[in-house]
Amino acid sequence: MLARSCLRSTRTFASAKNGALKFTKRAASSSSGSAAEASPLRLNIAAAAATTLAAGSIAWYYHLYGPTANAMTPAEEGLHPTKYPWVHEQWLKTFDHQALRRGFQVYREVCASCHSLSRVPYRTLVGTILTVDEAKALAEENEYDTEPNDQGEIEKRPGKLSDYLPSPYSNDEAARFANNGALPPDLSLIVKARHGGCDYIFSLLTGYPDEPPAGAVVGEGLNFNPYFPGTGIAMARVLYEGLVDYEDETPATTSQMAKDVVEFLNWAAEPEMDDRKRMGMKVLVVTSVLLAMSIWVKRYKWAYIKSRKIVYDPPKDGPPTRL
Amino acid sequence: MGIWDTITDLVEAATPWTTAEAEAPAQVEEQKEEATPSKAEDTEEPEAAEAAEAEEAPEEEAEEEEEEEEEDDEEELVDPKEKFEEECKESKQCAPAKHHFDECVERVTSASAQGESKEDCVEEFFHLAHCASSCAAPKLWSVLK
Repeated sequence: MLARSCLRSTRTFASAKNGALKFTKRAASSSSGSAAEASPLRLNIAAAAATTLAAGSIAWYYHLYGPTANAMTPAEEGLHPTKYPWVHEQWLKTFDHQALRRGFQVYREVCASCHSLSRVPYRTLVGTILTVDEAKALAEENEYDTEPNDQGEIEKRPGKLSDYLPSPYSNDEAARFANNGALPPDLSLIVKARHGGCDYIFSLLTGYPDEPPAGAVVGEGLNFNPYFPGTGIAMARVLYEGLVDYEDETPATTSQMAKDVVEFLNWAAEPEMDDRKRMGMKVLVVTSVLLAMSIWVKRYKWAYIKSRKIVYDPPKDGPPTRL
Repeated sequence: MGIWDTITDLVEAATPWTTAEAEAPAQVEEQKEEATPSKAEDTEEPEAAEAAEAEEAPEEEAEEEEEEEEEDDEEELVDPKEKFEEECKESKQCAPAKHHFDECVERVTSASAQGESKEDCVEEFFHLAHCASSCAAPKLWSVLK
């Protein structure tokens, strides 16, 4: 029974094989005529169509979802500041403390009438920008609240080195009220707080054009500045030639004052920068010394391993050993 | 960076530029006089006066020269940034941006003269300002202190 069914199956398989052979033979004979030249095209139609479909679907998808549409104009974004070659931004350079002194003068004489610098105490100015006596004299120009006395009254006292620089307004609302609704930001951390940092602030201070470009709409009480996002800034241009008399007789051009005050503001935001760079240098020096030491120690420890020689000395006498 | 900086530092330290540092202690003395009213005056006055007399002689000449320079400066004080940017705007590098900006200004002003103009030249201005400031940046930093 089993053998018969096996036989039968082999027979049917054989007939199927014959049929297939016949079929292939016939196909081969039929394509041997004039259609033989057109056959590569016809064979490739499916592949070509599929490839076109694939490429087209990718293109269609990219057309639909590819580019993100930002509802922004260049004016809303603001002109990105130019990169300036600040010396103090180099890895192994410190602040120019003469420039910091000039910049503090610019801040005090120009910016301080609207902008506070509330996170900077007088003591940090000592040694970096002013001498002790200068800083003390400056602190004493302002009055600060004392601790409550015996009657619980708070009196005024002249400032000390531990006091913070005075703010021009008592609070934000007063500052807004005095400035037509616009709040002059605190400048203590402004270099860290704005995209572009020093470059942005320098460009903003010096970038006021003489007149806004044709067709630009400038809001009421605003000034056109290309670097400010939205281009309408409440602060008018403040730095003009010769506004400040520098004690070191540097010509007080707009860009010189802007450069100095920006460097000062960078100091205000990062007073630790000089020390940080020195610490970085120390880290590099110490790690390089440690690296060198570790390499020498490794060579020392490995010396006997590297210099040893393993020798197989077969016995010359006796029977040959089988391994 | 390197040996050349060290040499220039040494040269700068040796040159008369250090007069600015020499003047600083004199100012501190003056401030001390102001700060400490009566006691210090008796002791410090003669010294300070002598010092002042000694210093005045060379300083007077220097001050006269400086005043002349200041007067000249005040007349001629031109912002180097504006000067360089104007030069850069006229240069070949920024010619395409300037061409577009000028064309836009012409178009918008003529359109606004006739009626309303729906266009502004802010974008063209941005391109021109970016070109000019990036061209002027290294020149400016070589001039500024």
